[in-house]
Amino acid sequence: MALDLHKVANSLSAMAGELAYSRTEQAEKLGNALKLFNSPADICALKGKIASSKTSWLVAEINQGLNGKYLPLDTPEQFSVLATDGSQIDVDRHHGVRCCLINIGTVMLRYGRNPEAMLQNHPLLLSREEDLVLRPDEYAPGREMMVEGSILGMMRTVEEFNHLAELCAALPNGANALALVDGSLIMWSLLSKEYPDYIIDTILDQGVLKHMERIGQLNPERRVALASYISFTRSTDVVNALRVLTCPYEKADCDRYCAGAEAEARPCAMLDGIHDRDVFWQWLKCSERSEVFASRSKINCTRYGKQRVYFYYLKTSDEVARIEIPEWVAQDEELLKLSHSLVVRQCKKGQGYPVALSEAHEQAVVTGADRENFYSLMEEYLTGSKLLVSVSAKSLSKKTRWV
Amino acid sequence: MEASDERIGEVIEASTGGFSAQCYQLYKLPALGELVKCRYQDVDILAVTCNGSTSSLEPGRRPIARGYEEASEEDLYNNNPQLNQLLRSEFSTIVVGFKRGESFYHYLPPQPVRLHSFVYRCSPDEVISFGESMEFLMLLSGVQCEVPIEELIAACLRVMGAFHSPESDFNMRAGRKLAEIYSGDYQRLRAILARLK
Repeated sequence: MALDLHKVANSLSAMAGELAYSRTEQAEKLGNALKLFNSPADICALKGKIASSKTSWLVAEINQGLNGKYLPLDTPEQFSVLATDGSQIDVDRHHGVRCCLINIGTVMLRYGRNPEAMLQNHPLLLSREEDLVLRPDEYAPGREMMVEGSILGMMRTVEEFNHLAELCAALPNGANALALVDGSLIMWSLLSKEYPDYIIDTILDQGVLKHMERIGQLNPERRVALASYISFTRSTDVVNALRVLTCPYEKADCDRYCAGAEAEARPCAMLDGIHDRDVFWQWLKCSERSEVFASRSKINCTRYGKQRVYFYYLKTSDEVARIEIPEWVAQDEELLKLSHSLVVRQCKKGQGYPVALSEAHEQAVVTGADRENFYSLMEEYLTGSKLLVSVSAKSLSKKTRWV
Repeated sequence: MEASDERIGEVIEASTGGFSAQCYQLYKLPALGELVKCRYQDVDILAVTCNGSTSSLEPGRRPIARGYEEASEEDLYNNNPQLNQLLRSEFSTIVVGFKRGESFYHYLPPQPVRLHSFVYRCSPDEVISFGESMEFLMLLSGVQCEVPIEELIAACLRVMGAFHSPESDFNMRAGRKLAEIYSGDYQRLRAILARLK
């Protein structure tokens, strides 16, 4: 039976009504945010207050200013844009054979005198015991973890960075390039559970961070700016800096002063529900970027080292995107400007979203039909090798529906 | 097949009466009416190009207008280098005969070409030799294709005629054959002859 839309229509109607009502309230709160953002008073004092704050939400670290805005420079005459994206077929516990697949899409677009494009995909089957289980060793104790679900997702991210580093390494000396990934440079998934240290080491130190460093080391012979593009960002780091600014206490400390208070009674409630993108959509003009901020997330501060993640906001024709960059890009004025101008150019070419990322996604995507074909082909090979293919009764019942 | 033959594409759909091919390079299509060939076993299968098209490689992704801010069409392609990878040019053909050894046959070959066969342009010598008989016009006149048949026949005769010297009797022989085929259809005969200029 399909979803009965008649039954849910009333709830949808009520939801729309509530949203319309809260829009007026949101507009008022956005006005508050913009007023604070426009005249933050003493930035040094605000930086100090943020540094000493103990908040239950993430606050952006301010580097130079809060509300500066910058236009992009002209792009170099010759440049390349490299991008990767990935998708996966997770382990299906209803199939007798335990295996999974990671598919990485890679894109190299060269602009200038000899324009060229290379669009590829790289499927990787994980089926051996050593592929499917992460094990601790005597130096890194902990429990065994199966490669599936969120761990598979993180391993896919590692592969995306690995392929990106390989694409970058193939650039000739003297090349100007933007290396792009979709989503955050910060591995938030590692915070979703209590993972043992060896998993964090495998995914982060021996994975993402190692490949980010490989890309960074290509400079200065090549000028490669690494960046990630977050579309329709829901971040509130900068708005949270404004919350600290409005906090009447000398040292913002949510647990100490506001733990028992009603949500609406908190002094910073005047900014509730406002995202950074709302502020920058009003503040920036098309193609302008904000100041560069640093993420104060714990994992970023304690584990990322030289790859510490900074970010800026960029207004495109359609949205405000959050662009994350590693420290070596943030602190190199030339790379920072290169990342800005090339992301703007990519968005213009891609109808509002970087064309290289959109093509990398097209290369990587695994559709429902692909998944079915993958399992059919697997079963064909297994039966060809006279191996019994066992499938769960539940899976069979979904395939053969009856009345 | 000679080493000097120009390879232009690869068969992606085949039947006894014709085949479709994808060009190796975007827009490098053979001309309407041009004679192309494919090798199958010891036979070169000869076919007349009856339609060309360029479309998105993936059926679900429609091309969109991209050139509003570009100075020229060349700039548009240079500034969107991925387009050459995402678009494809295809052409379809009608089989009009085959060549075995040095002999040409103006009727259908026993087998269709294989999928992924390479497609080559026919050399001027092959076009001239094949044009020594006009029987292929009988095959062409009886097919259904995407373009009007009088357009296809006229294009084919113009392209083949260009390889013949002005003193050759190619046009006269073609005219006679057309008169024979369309003896009961004066309007169509006239339409073809009008397109031979």
